[in-house]
Amino acid sequence: MKRLLLFLFLVPLAFAWQTVAALAMMTSFTLLGIIYMVGYGFGVNELKIMAKDELFQMIAVVILMVALIGTDSLLNAISTNDFFIEGDATTMQESAGNIINDTREEMVAIFNTLNSIDRSASIEASKAAQCSIMGMGYSVSGCGGYSMLATPISMAGGIVGFTIGELSAMSRFLLISENYALALLLPLGIVLRTIRLTRGAGGLLIALGIAMHIMLPAGIIFTEKLYDTFVSNDDYLEDYVPECIPKPDLLVDVDGYSMTCASGWTCRLPDGMDAADAMCPSSFGVHFDCNPGDTGRGNANDAINGYNIMRSSLREYLVVALLKATLGPVISLLMMASSIRALTALAGAEVDVSAISRFV
Amino acid sequence: MMICDASFEGFVMNTILPLTVYAGIVTSIFIAFSLMAGRVLSNPKLDLWAKTETVQLFISIASVFFIMIMVSGFCSADISEVASIFGFTTSSANIYDAAENYLLDAAKYAHNAMTVTRYHLEGYTVMSYLNAFMCDFRTGQIGWGCYFGYSGANQQPFGGYGATMAALNIFFNSTIISFFSAMNFLFILMFVQEGFVTLFLPLGIFLRAMPYLRTFGSLLIALALSFLIVYPLLLGVLGIMGDVLLDRPSLVPAVGSGTPLGNYLYSCNVPNDYCSGRREVCECRFPGEEGAGSAGQSAEAAISGSDVVSDTYFPGGPNPTGAIMFAANAFIAAVFFPSVALLATIASVTYIARMLGEEINLSRITQMV
Repeated sequence: MKRLLLFLFLVPLAFAWQTVAALAMMTSFTLLGIIYMVGYGFGVNELKIMAKDELFQMIAVVILMVALIGTDSLLNAISTNDFFIEGDATTMQESAGNIINDTREEMVAIFNTLNSIDRSASIEASKAAQCSIMGMGYSVSGCGGYSMLATPISMAGGIVGFTIGELSAMSRFLLISENYALALLLPLGIVLRTIRLTRGAGGLLIALGIAMHIMLPAGIIFTEKLYDTFVSNDDYLEDYVPECIPKPDLLVDVDGYSMTCASGWTCRLPDGMDAADAMCPSSFGVHFDCNPGDTGRGNANDAINGYNIMRSSLREYLVVALLKATLGPVISLLMMASSIRALTALAGAEVDVSAISRFV
Repeated sequence: MMICDASFEGFVMNTILPLTVYAGIVTSIFIAFSLMAGRVLSNPKLDLWAKTETVQLFISIASVFFIMIMVSGFCSADISEVASIFGFTTSSANIYDAAENYLLDAAKYAHNAMTVTRYHLEGYTVMSYLNAFMCDFRTGQIGWGCYFGYSGANQQPFGGYGATMAALNIFFNSTIISFFSAMNFLFILMFVQEGFVTLFLPLGIFLRAMPYLRTFGSLLIALALSFLIVYPLLLGVLGIMGDVLLDRPSLVPAVGSGTPLGNYLYSCNVPNDYCSGRREVCECRFPGEEGAGSAGQSAEAAISGSDVVSDTYFPGGPNPTGAIMFAANAFIAAVFFPSVALLATIASVTYIARMLGEEINLSRITQMV
């Protein structure tokens, strides 16, 4: 008897939101009965039709509730499907989080490299030599050639910084999804959908919960797989992976096979060049050194050389910055936004989320 | 006068309900005249119109009472109890206060992000303009080239922050938008609580019964219903998510590498009397702004090297990526999710207006969000 009492006491706690949803539904059923009776009593067909229409909506809510409880394992099965899981992750949400965090770390590394290059180049560009004795002297800016590097580096900083922000927002979305999508948004949406007045809001919460839990991580993993396929393509490797460059004191110019750099980037190793003598173009920052008193060609050549190396290393960054860190999240967010619209329609109250899509 | 105050209850009882009753009586008189005219003239159209309007009047009055019951329920409901049903905890408040608290915190969060970004931008700008003259033939910090004359190179030791500042500028603009958006949503909420009920409900009831004006009347009632019930409810739900969404209670995320971002807000490395004990308005400022600091630093930099300047401004090192991440989080908390709440509210307006028997196209307003 005590066990039975304990069980009866625990059941409402274990299924708290289901109890609230059931109470809301019972209230709605009662109101529907009253509306139908008023309509029947006064011969108002509109009220009877409204009551019947609402009854169908209530049945839809019951089906949704049963589906949520019954498909919990289905959602888990989707989340733990091998196709969606990468590395050490156990669920697709975790996998998506790892992908976003890894990409963000890559972008932060690129951002730091850019900042380092920016500092080196700008310090050299700011140098101006002066010499005066007994009130006579001269001033010369022999490092002016380096100032051309500031604009492209600044643009690159803006783009890379933007991707870091975008990926952080994605990471925050995933964190919110992990904590609240199934535990709060979905059940609360079902409760709100029970009442006609809050049906739109309820439908939106249901759609938001499912879209954030399934569509967002699925979109991230999907675009990651597309990216992996693209970068492993031979044509891409041949046409877009930059050549390794010789270390500062070497000059060899023939093409050949690839090597992996310390930073994780890949470059193609020219024929005849030993890996020990080569470096990734992304390591070019070390080259900057300007003598402000030299007005000859030396400084200009160094600046142009730095610019050329920077240009050749751009491909390394572009593929990650544009495909993986910009286009990938955009596609994932659009998938989420469009699925919200479809799911709200399915939940019985379509919400125009085109405004959300415009944020993307 | 806030919606859950005792004064508001008096306002409802003394102003809104009498106005509603007057509107209902005037409408009933119109309906009665129409019914009588229909009978006298044996005009079935007038007869039908009067019967239809009777049902609509009943629906209008029922809507008003429904709003009153819901408002009263929202004023007495505790969001912490709602949260506990779903296994979450949050501070105790009624639904309207919870909605307001969320938007206030979102505004503070966005403002914190703006402050951190501003601090970095200011720091990098000040440092970028620092000039140093490096004398030739150097031995440590001493350049012998300046001993007999003036021989050396002028340079900016911290000249290269263009890339960082370009990135931070984008997100500084973003934090301003986030802050203004949060304030905008807050003003909408406050206006709804104080302005909508006064005019919209009585006018809505009256206009719904008038020929050609039912759409407008339905829109007014639907607006009142949606903005008094759906909008605060959804914001209250966002408040439950505040621990993650707004990084409560500190309202500062632990992101990026380097100095914790809270140091740029509350624990200024530079002594700042204005900040002590006033956490909500505390912002770090540079010693250069305090007066003699910059001259002292210049002298110290000449002896110890230029790093002393950056150490003064960023003692624990800067955290630009953290500032960028903070700004991105602020956008999610202060723009994205409140916009979702507003969209759901506008969708509810359409839905409720349809329920009241009129089709209203609000797609233009939706596009303004």
